[in-house]
Amino acid sequence: MASLRYHFAIFCAKGTKLALHLMGRGATTLPGKVAARIDPKILARLCSGRDCLTITGTNGKTTTTHMITDIFRNCGYTVVTNVSGANLLSGVTTSMIFGLKDMKKAEKEGRKVICVLETDEAAFGKIACQIKPKVSVVTNLFRDQLDRFGELSHTRELIAKGLDTCEADILLNSDDSLVSELHKGREDRTFYYGFSSRSMKENNEKYPGKSGLLPASSDAEYCTECKEKYTYNSRSFGHLGDFACEKCGKKRVPARFFAKYDLSKNPANEGYEVTLCDAGYGRNEFDDPSKILEKTVKLPVPGIHNMYNSVSAVAACVRMGEKIGDTEGLSFGKCASALEHVEAAFGRMEKISIGSKKICVMLVKNPVGLDRALSLVAGAEDADGMYMLLNSNIADGKDVSWIWDVDFESKTFPQKVYVSGDRYGDMMLRILYSGVERERIIARRMEECAELLDQAISTTADGKCLYILPNYTSMLALRSILVKRYHLKDFWK
Amino acid sequence: MNSIKDNETGKYELRICHMYPDLLNLYGDRGNVLSLIRRAELRGIKVRLVPVSIGDEFDQDDFDIVFLGGGQDAEQNMIRKDFVEVKGPKVQKSIEDGMVFLCICGGYQMLGKYYQEHDGTKIECLGAIDVYTVGEDVRYIQDTIYEADFLKEDGVSDSTRLYGFENHSGRTYLGPSVKPMAKVIEGAGNNGKDGYEGAIYKNVYCTYSHGSFLPKNPRMTDHLLKLALKRRYGEDFELPFLSTEGEDFARAALLQYKEKGNTAP
Repeated sequence: MASLRYHFAIFCAKGTKLALHLMGRGATTLPGKVAARIDPKILARLCSGRDCLTITGTNGKTTTTHMITDIFRNCGYTVVTNVSGANLLSGVTTSMIFGLKDMKKAEKEGRKVICVLETDEAAFGKIACQIKPKVSVVTNLFRDQLDRFGELSHTRELIAKGLDTCEADILLNSDDSLVSELHKGREDRTFYYGFSSRSMKENNEKYPGKSGLLPASSDAEYCTECKEKYTYNSRSFGHLGDFACEKCGKKRVPARFFAKYDLSKNPANEGYEVTLCDAGYGRNEFDDPSKILEKTVKLPVPGIHNMYNSVSAVAACVRMGEKIGDTEGLSFGKCASALEHVEAAFGRMEKISIGSKKICVMLVKNPVGLDRALSLVAGAEDADGMYMLLNSNIADGKDVSWIWDVDFESKTFPQKVYVSGDRYGDMMLRILYSGVERERIIARRMEECAELLDQAISTTADGKCLYILPNYTSMLALRSILVKRYHLKDFWK
Repeated sequence: MNSIKDNETGKYELRICHMYPDLLNLYGDRGNVLSLIRRAELRGIKVRLVPVSIGDEFDQDDFDIVFLGGGQDAEQNMIRKDFVEVKGPKVQKSIEDGMVFLCICGGYQMLGKYYQEHDGTKIECLGAIDVYTVGEDVRYIQDTIYEADFLKEDGVSDSTRLYGFENHSGRTYLGPSVKPMAKVIEGAGNNGKDGYEGAIYKNVYCTYSHGSFLPKNPRMTDHLLKLALKRRYGEDFELPFLSTEGEDFARAALLQYKEKGNTAP
């Protein structure tokens, strides 16, 4: 009976996809929704007996998923993964159904298969029990659309719930006090990744960041246990760093997988080098140095935050190799080398050439994402113009006030700043209030965003790059404009 | 805390107290502080910003304006004792003495008498102003427009509307000694029933409007600046003219957006 139901569900999913394609629409979530309606256990059946890896958290999920996928592929694995954004039950199910053919073929030919699944942090609690991942990565917890998801402690509880429905090894960001908390009661299966404590300290001392008029709104200044303010030995960005609570003694645990870096060079630029390290099972940076494996690689996607994504991706692949008994094929050295060949994804720092100029699109959905993107633009040597788009549809969150949580004041912007989106007034005002002169800001209604894009590209100097920072629905609009007006192939599916 | 020395270069100075900036910093509340700073500094008024958090002393003689925002439940619980028991008496005294306050959402509720939770539990608040709040299940989350009569007294004739964004499940009710801040044109306001939003008591202004409330309402910013500086430098103090062109551009865009209607997913 179950089998019949399962096959019927898959049949219907395929039919739905065909119908959607005939209507000229994408099919990233609806087929899975239909299938799950028919067979509520379908995702469990699809994942059963397969090696699955999940990635959740508020920021960096898509980039990390993408990196992990590419590393596995570069190491000879057949990978099924979900399309960016399709990270709820429906999207994950859809991806698994349409990956079946490849998986079965590979399994038949004796090739190794891995499912790399990005899961929404609020949905993780419900779907982890079906996926039963072997390794689960938690990237970080930053405030994100509080009007939709509620408070961060609630999001963390949902992730904890999901972790307790599976036996996955858990990879936690050691530098995020909110995330590392998830180790409690799961100590024997927790592994950490993060920045080298020594690097963080050295870089903090040598290159203290600029501070703005007001500090950015922070999410985790106080100990969740005893409500004492954390002291930081060093920081990377946001609330991430080497934290400690002097009252209850809770403190950051040095990571097994860590990144050593040097900010004398600018991580906003391409070709920035970072040294990834693996101290080995049960060890960390401060244990026997002769046992620490190191590999210096070019960061595949610029930005300090992408150093976190990179080290977590390598950590996930190495740990998966240990779990499934492929320590050879997924050795630290191989995984770290494979990382260098990862290419950026659309909306995640991918640079696209348009004639003699370039554009670079960075999706920004929440305060820390915007903060990172602005830092990157401020540091990028090729930046000649910035274009921000802000919508407030349901998928974006109706409340755009979060743009005021971000420290714009300490950033420097390109000479010309273009603004559009339904909430172009709000964004224009935000930039104006950061100290950018009114005449440098060109703001237009969403209906004119395509013409404004033309103008922004045409005023960008040859060889330079226009950085575009849209939020979710404005990025979808931008994507179709780029396809129509600039004849870029729609490689995003 | 050291007392603040008068600035010798600029003629006027504004001292802003940002209460619990490390804990009450939800929904872009820091935009309000930026707005006070910007519109003062552009007029050549020197600004001194002092963060005052848990354990820091609050001395009313040190400040001209106090800003108190809202926070997540956990954070609000963390500061409640410090705010009500430790700083409470001085805060209350400064309010009675006419100090200018802007309090948003959680900060507004905490100035009141109590907050009654869903299960009937009453959480004692400062009781500095005669309001109380009852928590309910349905949350009001939307863009709002209010009509503020007090702006007319500032000679504002064209634009007495205030734009905001509300996000609250508490329903606040005002006692007789407190006036509502504005009339609701769009949105729920204090409690979704009486058609009013916020509260004014002496120089204390309270509202449920989060985020870019002051940036979007420069006349409100100027109103608070004027009150604070007159209190410090005497009734003769005149706030110099400052254009609202940038802010008005954003206000027009906001109206345009609202008129367009927004039904996209």
